[in-house]
Amino acid sequence: MTVDENKIKKVGIVSCSGEDLPEGTISRIATLEVLLKRKPLDTTTICLPLFVAGGEGDRMFAKNYPTITVDGCEKLCAKKATEKYSGKVTCSINVKDFIKDTKICNKRNLNIQEKEIVSKVADEISNKVDDILKEGLF
Amino acid sequence: MSKKSVKKVIIIPCSGIGKPIGTVSRETTYEIIERLKPDNVETICLALLTSGDEKTIDKLKDSYCITIDGCAKHCAKKNTEECGKIPDKSYTVLKFAAASPDKKPEGIIDIGEGGRALVETIANEIIKDINGPIEG
Repeated sequence: MTVDENKIKKVGIVSCSGEDLPEGTISRIATLEVLLKRKPLDTTTICLPLFVAGGEGDRMFAKNYPTITVDGCEKLCAKKATEKYSGKVTCSINVKDFIKDTKICNKRNLNIQEKEIVSKVADEISNKVDDILKEGLF
Repeated sequence: MSKKSVKKVIIIPCSGIGKPIGTVSRETTYEIIERLKPDNVETICLALLTSGDEKTIDKLKDSYCITIDGCAKHCAKKNTEECGKIPDKSYTVLKFAAASPDKKPEGIIDIGEGGRALVETIANEIIKDINGPIEG
């Protein structure tokens, strides 16, 4: 393995925008929690719509970084759009998998239960980041 | 817009996850929807539009469409246009921020008091523009 191949890379995290769903806000805040607080040195992101609005460099995102997508619902927009415009994702997370009997309703100003789900999703993203970096999946 | 042609208003903010102005864009959308009648004004997921969802594209076609972008890359506007809909109005948070340097968003997760003041300023401006369509 060359020095270049052995260097530490960042993991990309792409969140759905999810404006129309409380789960979208959870996806966004959990992603930001990891990006800004838990793994700031190991992660990076891109605004998902920039795949269309940006240039070729922006569309190289998933080719440049092993990428985790975080979606709010079963439509998996972040995963689908990333794979359509940028490249195959390494891992896909769906917020719906973390919501069992909890009723969530807020798109802004999340309540305690919704914040707990944010924390669980952030845990999962962090674990996946660790796995990718440990296993060298890039 | 003519008072006779009342249309559903759809506001599309940019996803803007990397910048506080992206959060301002999103918060402004929610602020407008909360202040106006939700039956008349709604948002859609930009990512759903970007992924090419046909139902969402169809819904957008007959709407009075407003995009709110955080930065000059205009992702919300460009993605909407890519789906065949020219927004009726397009706004950029940066322009409002430049005009109100005292209203500065602080962070991406929490935009702080300055950010919330900016949200109010932008929401007031946009509400003025859409009062026609929703009041019919």
